[in-house]
Amino acid sequence: MAEKVCVEISKELYEKAKKFVEEQGGFGSVEELVEFLLEEALAAEGGEEHSMSKEDEEKVKERLRALGYI
Amino acid sequence: MELARRVFFLGLDSMPPKVLYEGMGEGFDYLRGIVEESQRFLMRTCHPPITVPAWMVMFTGKTPGELGIYGFRHRRPGEFGYYIVNSRFIRAETLWDKAGRDGLRVGVYGVPPTYPPKPVHGFMVTDFTTPGPEKPYTFPPWLRRELEQATEPTIFDILYRSSDKDKVARELFRMLSNHQRQVEYLATRKQWDLFLYVEIAVDRAHHAFWKYFDHGHPRYEQHPRYSSVIPELYRRIDEWFEKLHRRLPRDTVIVIASDHGIKPMKGAFVMNQWLAEQGYLKLKPGVEAKPGTDLREDMIDWDSTVAWAWGGYYSRVFINLKGREKRGIVEPKYYEETVNQLRRDIERIRGPSGEGWVNKAYRPQELYPEVKGDPPDLMVYLDDLNWRPAGTIGWPTLYLSENDRGPDDAVHDWIGVYAVYDPEGTLSKSDVGVMDIHRIRRHLEEIIFSRR
Repeated sequence: MAEKVCVEISKELYEKAKKFVEEQGGFGSVEELVEFLLEEALAAEGGEEHSMSKEDEEKVKERLRALGYI
Repeated sequence: MELARRVFFLGLDSMPPKVLYEGMGEGFDYLRGIVEESQRFLMRTCHPPITVPAWMVMFTGKTPGELGIYGFRHRRPGEFGYYIVNSRFIRAETLWDKAGRDGLRVGVYGVPPTYPPKPVHGFMVTDFTTPGPEKPYTFPPWLRRELEQATEPTIFDILYRSSDKDKVARELFRMLSNHQRQVEYLATRKQWDLFLYVEIAVDRAHHAFWKYFDHGHPRYEQHPRYSSVIPELYRRIDEWFEKLHRRLPRDTVIVIASDHGIKPMKGAFVMNQWLAEQGYLKLKPGVEAKPGTDLREDMIDWDSTVAWAWGGYYSRVFINLKGREKRGIVEPKYYEETVNQLRRDIERIRGPSGEGWVNKAYRPQELYPEVKGDPPDLMVYLDDLNWRPAGTIGWPTLYLSENDRGPDDAVHDWIGVYAVYDPEGTLSKSDVGVMDIHRIRRHLEEIIFSRR
């Protein structure tokens, strides 16, 4: 299991997140939600390394060819 | 910070002023009424006049050179193949990033290229560059399930280059309806201050049916069904928008814009075969290609090749530069001279009957204040976009009357639309002039942020 670090957030925010997780489903805990969102947000800063898989890229290339952009 | 009034942006991909402002074709009764009451600009698009990067130029306020995006695909120096850009290649702040940071809630729907989705202060649904609805295509991530359950799985695009035009029309309307249901759901159920919606169906309809719609098309054809597809599309957009508009607060600012215009394609010109005839490109002996074959790296005699080209909605030409390319032969000290000679030769290309063409070949540094990313050596437009450049080979002639990639009778044009309707009457209702696409962001921000 990955090493974990403790991070503090405001109680208000935590309560909101807890309510959200309970009502929405899809996430097992506030921790899971926080890790997911942070991961997503940071991936956006990552540049090409975090872009699409080869398979997806080929799919898009094929479509762009069919659309005449290529 | 609260915005007193909301802004709804309706992006109609490839919409020309001839249609929206000058009444060409039927169907836009309501929208034309809005446009009559709007501040209207002729929107001058960027180089190159293509969906990617044009929409992002509009929403970032940066030129393609500053973004480092010159189309969907790009070539790294030394490589023959290409990579496709996605949202991660846009590293500039967008209008919605700024609005979100200032506390405004934003809705972003179908703006190219927003896949993969980035976090926004509000919600986002990505565009036609999304590989498929099984991918995470919304922000927040859980919106996808909600949206699909409330409406249906998202239809991102259609393949319009088919000779089965009836099928194309059916799929076009299905996709439009899908987007409209989703946008209506989001616009009426979610909180937002700024909603940006780009509809790609307009571009697809234009490409697939322009010759059945535009009497000025050299291959115009009146058809009992196909001639009514574009007007029907306009009507459905018009009707849908009127219904939605009546549900929005009456003081909502409405923006109608496009990323470029559209016009008839006169034909396609086979760039690489022309380069071969001119001695710039040498194919290996024995290379036999069927019409429409893609040029491959192993077909080229690199030791005798000075340049090769890409086709598409404009042409990119690459110099086989020594030190940069794998088997470059053009010495760096002769680079300028080579490019200039090539330019002169391109500008001299004439039409199939010897008619003069207005051809332009630009160096990227002539077009942008900064040139980032992987630009081509030359950006080429043939006969002011009237002739599409074909990158494929194997053709019996340099001049094709049909598109080399399948049925498509339209090319892009330099001028699109940008109209802003302020029901409070603070904007003059008139034709103001030309607005460059990269200046629109600033204009929109003044409206969004200064009205309270």
